Amino acid sequence: MSSTAAGSPLARPQAAAVETPLRRFISEFAESRLALFGLGLFLLIVAAALLAPWIAPQNPYDLAQLDIMDGRLEPGSRNGADTFIYWLGTDDQGRDMLSGILYGLRISLSVGAGSAILACLVGASLGMLAAYAGGRTDGLIMRLVDLQLSFPAILAALMILAFLGKGILNVVIALVVVEWAYYARTVRGTALVERRREYIEAAQCLALPTRRIIFRHLLPNCLPPLIVVGTMQVARAIALEATLSFLGLGVPITEPSLGLLIANGYEYMLSGKYWISFYPGIALLVTIVSINLVGDQLRDVLNPRLKK
Amino acid sequence: MGGCFRAALSGAVLAWMLLPGMPARAQELTMAVGAPVTSLDPHYHQLSPNTAVAQMIFSGLTATDGHARIVPDLAESWRAVDATTWEFRLRPGVRFHNGSDFTAEDVAFTFQRVPNVPNSPSSYAIYTRPIREVQVVDAHTLRLKTAAPYPLMPTDLVSVMILDAETHAKATTEGFNAGPMAVGTGPFRMVSHRNGDRILFERNEGYFGTPPAWQRVTYRMITNDAARTAALLAGDVAFIDQVPTSDLAKLRGDARVALSEITGLRLIYLALDHARREASPFVADNEGKPLPRNPLQDVRVRRALSMAIDRGAIVERVMEGAAIPAGQFLPEGSFSYVSDLAPTPYDPEGAKRLLAEAGFPQGFRITLHGPNDRYPNDARIIQAIGQMWSRAGVRTAVEAQPWTTFIARAGKQEFSIFLQGWGSSSGEGSNPLRNLTATPDREKGYGASNRGRYSNPEVDRLLGEAMQELDDAKREALLQAATRVAFEDVGILPLHIQKNVWAMRKGLAHGPRADELTRAQDIRPAGATR
Repeated sequence: MSSTAAGSPLARPQAAAVETPLRRFISEFAESRLALFGLGLFLLIVAAALLAPWIAPQNPYDLAQLDIMDGRLEPGSRNGADTFIYWLGTDDQGRDMLSGILYGLRISLSVGAGSAILACLVGASLGMLAAYAGGRTDGLIMRLVDLQLSFPAILAALMILAFLGKGILNVVIALVVVEWAYYARTVRGTALVERRREYIEAAQCLALPTRRIIFRHLLPNCLPPLIVVGTMQVARAIALEATLSFLGLGVPITEPSLGLLIANGYEYMLSGKYWISFYPGIALLVTIVSINLVGDQLRDVLNPRLKK
Repeated sequence: MGGCFRAALSGAVLAWMLLPGMPARAQELTMAVGAPVTSLDPHYHQLSPNTAVAQMIFSGLTATDGHARIVPDLAESWRAVDATTWEFRLRPGVRFHNGSDFTAEDVAFTFQRVPNVPNSPSSYAIYTRPIREVQVVDAHTLRLKTAAPYPLMPTDLVSVMILDAETHAKATTEGFNAGPMAVGTGPFRMVSHRNGDRILFERNEGYFGTPPAWQRVTYRMITNDAARTAALLAGDVAFIDQVPTSDLAKLRGDARVALSEITGLRLIYLALDHARREASPFVADNEGKPLPRNPLQDVRVRRALSMAIDRGAIVERVMEGAAIPAGQFLPEGSFSYVSDLAPTPYDPEGAKRLLAEAGFPQGFRITLHGPNDRYPNDARIIQAIGQMWSRAGVRTAVEAQPWTTFIARAGKQEFSIFLQGWGSSSGEGSNPLRNLTATPDREKGYGASNRGRYSNPEVDRLLGEAMQELDDAKREALLQAATRVAFEDVGILPLHIQKNVWAMRKGLAHGPRADELTRAQDIRPAGATR
């Protein structure tokens, strides 16, 4: 990696001194307007989710703030106490949809990111171990991966939740169990290539401890594909969480995530009360699309095979 | 009579063949119900969906009509010979699906089996317990001796499906569920059963009563409300029960669909943990620490919780008018209805005052549990109550779960306060009093569904007297007194009584039932009744 940092000092004399891998990465990433748009959108969504308690007109998780008499109001209606407007309408419990979506995004994003990070830790460690140890360990871990990947993710998650019961933490656990295999497989592939490189041989000749070789030398060089998989898996985890909540297996009913909000409104679609499902659906869609736009570009930038 | 009937039938068939747009295989009916059938063993688990299916396959000595009035079934007539003896004359010439003859011995066998079904989650023994001795006078005459005068015998026996002494001698609950044991005298024979999904029925050509209009019936269970309505609108099924209230307005305006409705006998209520004097599992102080004593033991707290509920809002907003607010077990007009026991009015300020008086000026925390696939809007109702209680100072968390998990946990007293429903299929007060508010007593079979373990000696005493009283007027007065005590003490917390609504494709007719049972024999082509 370090050897590629040497650019041509003659072409860009001023930039030469500060050209770092990071800067180059940023400028390559910025080549795609669509990816920038996706990144902007994603940051906006994250900001909205983080600031939800301050910008939402209502705490949708506090039952005392909801009023059943305000149930199923159309977008733009005033609330019963005449203190604010339900810009996106209300659901059957009189929950402000805008507030519900903002809070729901918090759950979706934190479940998505949390499970992706945990799955990454588990998956990457096991994948690295498999690649480095080889032999039986490798066989065992990779057969486990095969076994895991042979189950459809949603089915596996459903079984795990049926066993563990409801709750956000259990959803995260289920998602980690479902997703770790993708990371393990990716990391193992990269690590198998990397561990035959000279710098690993050099490290081994220096008799460095195995742990140090894996985490200090091997891992950093396996990161780029891991980042790409990670981004995609965040989006996947968000969609899976929404599905599980939609099926009534995810979050508690009084703390709806986007999936549960959609499920709540689903029954009213027939009677023309579209907004209960429609807006959370849009929010979910936009979130996943923005992450995927970023992920696509990351893949292009970080994949050496796609280098021009 | 026979010729008249034949003429009417052929007329109906003709009219029906001439009707345009009738499905080609008109003798087949596909229907969908909202609550899953948990067992085909008619003596295993008292639950309306189970009862409905049991009444399609089996028959009792007595039955009820759409308005919950007692009518003959396998018994042609009955009378009290003396204060402690009932005599039933059985219908001759009745055969079970497998050809076995129905006789008084089968009834005697059935009464023996009922209390001995292993692991029954809510036993039917309550209905056979009063019988001290079964005397088989002849093949079609039966005398039932009771220890004390027992006025409810014909009412109780509606719930006891009669099995065959030969066929069912060694029958297990699994045997019924799997199919081979599901043999009765009812209008349909069971063809196949996929647990939680569908049951296929075929007409019992040898049925002793009015023959059902359908050669084959597919009895599907679609627990998702929207999916059930969509299945009806798409024509996948021709008939649905538990019409989602969210769809009522739309279905009323749809020319392809007809509705049938009747004020039901099902009370939706909250059961409270009366069993524990100390900490109740889901009650805590405002910091989340368990309270040293169970506040639900204090009648003022129970009353406050009741006053904090706006029943009108639930009926209007959540139930879309398909219910009436309740202050007791049964709707007006029923036997043992108490005319001056009105639903508790909504009074959040009064509730706060009462809570302060009971030593909870800042309220406390509680988790309200309920099913999410059993009663219309069950999960919405508990959320709405959560709102109301939270505003009255009782911070409420709400947890909804699938019925099968929920009811197992409720039966083990794992909850502090939880939503339940009770259909008083007998249409009179002794049924809910015995099942929901009588002190649980396995010996007597009382309190079988009293999952909060409410116990009040006064209720037990009045109920006990009523159960000995053969005079209807006196019995009604005693039942009314017991009802009043139970509800003034807030033994259970009544919410509303449902209206039962069914929806079907135009061209079908349905006889609605106050007991909300959804049975294929109540559905006929509309032409046949014209």
